[in-house]
Amino acid sequence: MNDLHPRIRVIWILQAVVVAVVVGAVGVGMATFFDVSQLPPVGFAVLLVIVGVIHAILRYRNWAYVVREDAIYLERGVFTQVRTEVPLVRIQHVDSRRSAFERLAGLASTVVYTAGSRGADVTIPGLTPAEADGLRRRLKGLVIESDGEDAV
Amino acid sequence: MKLAVKAVPYRALQKTTTLLISAVFIASIGIGVPVGPPQFLPVAVGSFLLSLGYEFAYYRRFEYELTDDTLDIRSGVFNRREREIPYGRVQNVDISRNVFQRLVGLSKLDIETAGGGSTEASLRYVTAFEANRLQLDIRRYKRGESPESHAEGEVGDTGVDRDRAVDDEELLFEIAPSELALAGVLSFDPRVPGALIALFTGSVPFISPIIPFDAPPLIVFGLLAVLFAAGLVLAWIVGAVSAIVNYWGFRLTRTEGELRYERGLLQRYSGTIPFDKIQAITITDNPLKRRAGYATLVVETAGYAPGQTDGRGSEAAVPIGSRDRVDRLADEISSIEEPTFNRPPKRIRRRYFVRYLLAIAGLTGLLYAGLSVFDLADAMPWYLPAIAALGTPLAAHYKWFHRGYWLGEDHLVTRNGFWSRETKQVAYYRIQTVIETRTIFQRRWSVATVIADTAGSLSVLGTGAAAVDIDQREAERLRETLTERLRTALAERRWDRQRSTAFEWTDTTEERSDSTGASGNGQDVDQSNASQSDDDSASQ
Repeated sequence: MNDLHPRIRVIWILQAVVVAVVVGAVGVGMATFFDVSQLPPVGFAVLLVIVGVIHAILRYRNWAYVVREDAIYLERGVFTQVRTEVPLVRIQHVDSRRSAFERLAGLASTVVYTAGSRGADVTIPGLTPAEADGLRRRLKGLVIESDGEDAV
Repeated sequence: MKLAVKAVPYRALQKTTTLLISAVFIASIGIGVPVGPPQFLPVAVGSFLLSLGYEFAYYRRFEYELTDDTLDIRSGVFNRREREIPYGRVQNVDISRNVFQRLVGLSKLDIETAGGGSTEASLRYVTAFEANRLQLDIRRYKRGESPESHAEGEVGDTGVDRDRAVDDEELLFEIAPSELALAGVLSFDPRVPGALIALFTGSVPFISPIIPFDAPPLIVFGLLAVLFAAGLVLAWIVGAVSAIVNYWGFRLTRTEGELRYERGLLQRYSGTIPFDKIQAITITDNPLKRRAGYATLVVETAGYAPGQTDGRGSEAAVPIGSRDRVDRLADEISSIEEPTFNRPPKRIRRRYFVRYLLAIAGLTGLLYAGLSVFDLADAMPWYLPAIAALGTPLAAHYKWFHRGYWLGEDHLVTRNGFWSRETKQVAYYRIQTVIETRTIFQRRWSVATVIADTAGSLSVLGTGAAAVDIDQREAERLRETLTERLRTALAERRWDRQRSTAFEWTDTTEERSDSTGASGNGQDVDQSNASQSDDDSASQ
């Protein structure tokens, strides 16, 4: 099983901070407008950051993936733990992508698409750009090999 | 080929009507301008002429063609669009015609492929004859036959007859009058109460004088209850009428490799679903239906986009049929052994029990809080929902009792639901991904849920074929088994396909048996055969 790149925690924490700042700003704005104490919204924002940090650490700890000869297997989730098997035959296409945060942290993700209705796209975050590209190429090769003429 | 010429005035008329209705609506509520026939007529005629011009251009620029392996469509007045749809990717071909279209002999033909946000191609409108011809020819091209070999059907000028005459159809299901009546009785249109509520909240100023708010609260309560009941009855009547109109003359037939449905009183629908493209079969019943010996069956395909607005969902759905006929139909579509379900561990009943109690407690609390806000808590029986708590042990037991999964020869069968019981059959080779989830609550009971995801469209709303709350070790095993069976099932299918292609297209099987990769098969035979084998591999 492969772990994600440890730096992915930074991205997740950053995302949590952004959410906390937005929520906090709205809260403080409302508190000023209604002329009540600004302490509760600030406290709530700080709480959000703390929860976000813990969540990011646990999420990192629970994330694992492996590309087997006939399927991708992923384990993830903090509150709800999810284990997904994506047979290579079912893969429609593979993307590697980098969001703004990911570029900041020098990371990339690979997204695997299937025709399914629930797990229709599976994202593997926290890869180095080289890993993401490599994974995409490797999957492409495996998918062609596994003869996926019957994807739907 | 072109659309029907008759479609030009029809489409123009359609456009003008929508335009005028919205114009009247805006004029009447918005600006208070007196709108009478004198102002209206020139606008109506003008917009009709304009849209007639546009529709004529649309007609001129809309072209479709059936080539050997694709359906080509070139369309668009301002934005040109050219599409090639491979026959192998076509999921459903649907024809519909409403009363007016039937009167003038027009049909709408919709072609669905998997994926995409909406219907892939829609021909509005072709003649009824042409629609049937297209449906039939697309089916033949898909099978790799050329439609010219059936050209003898050309003489008949009634399209439907031609269709029936050429293809042998086996009747699988035809709705009986009693079943149709029952479908109506059991239908309830939830959109009606929604619309009523919207109307009601919008017209509170009108209604408030009717309700004597200064009367004792119990009387207000009673009045509201009566209004509510009236809304329910109305919703039920609307639901009943629409169900009967929708499913009038419903029949499912089987032709070679395809399921074909027909239904509708005012608007007639007919369409085909290739057996290859069926993703899952769902049979639903509830205690009332079970008692009376009825059930509902839905055939899921990947063609229909999730969240399609008309709310029809899957076309090949038997609204209600007697249990044995539904079972026989399910058996015809995918023959399957009698399942013996593996149930979740018994301890899980306690969890359901607690869950139901919590839900009821929450509801009661909410009602109490809501009534307290209006200072009515003393006068109203807010504790009424708590009575439902008496039923929770039974509900919890049945929730557990109905739950289960079964691994058949070729299918995974799952069953869920304490009131409305849903049995889902998914062929192993149809599974897309296997997902095992454990929520924080499930982990406390050391259980897990395994979901076999398919490309079906209903699964977006429902749960998919899910084995819920089974023991964690069992769940892990099930997940691995499903992946394994998917792989072997696919390998078997590929092998079968290779062998059948080899038998069909060459005299000696030895030559072919060592070939790998189905798509490469038969390419060294002559040209027509090569394209044939490509079609096969794409359509299965």
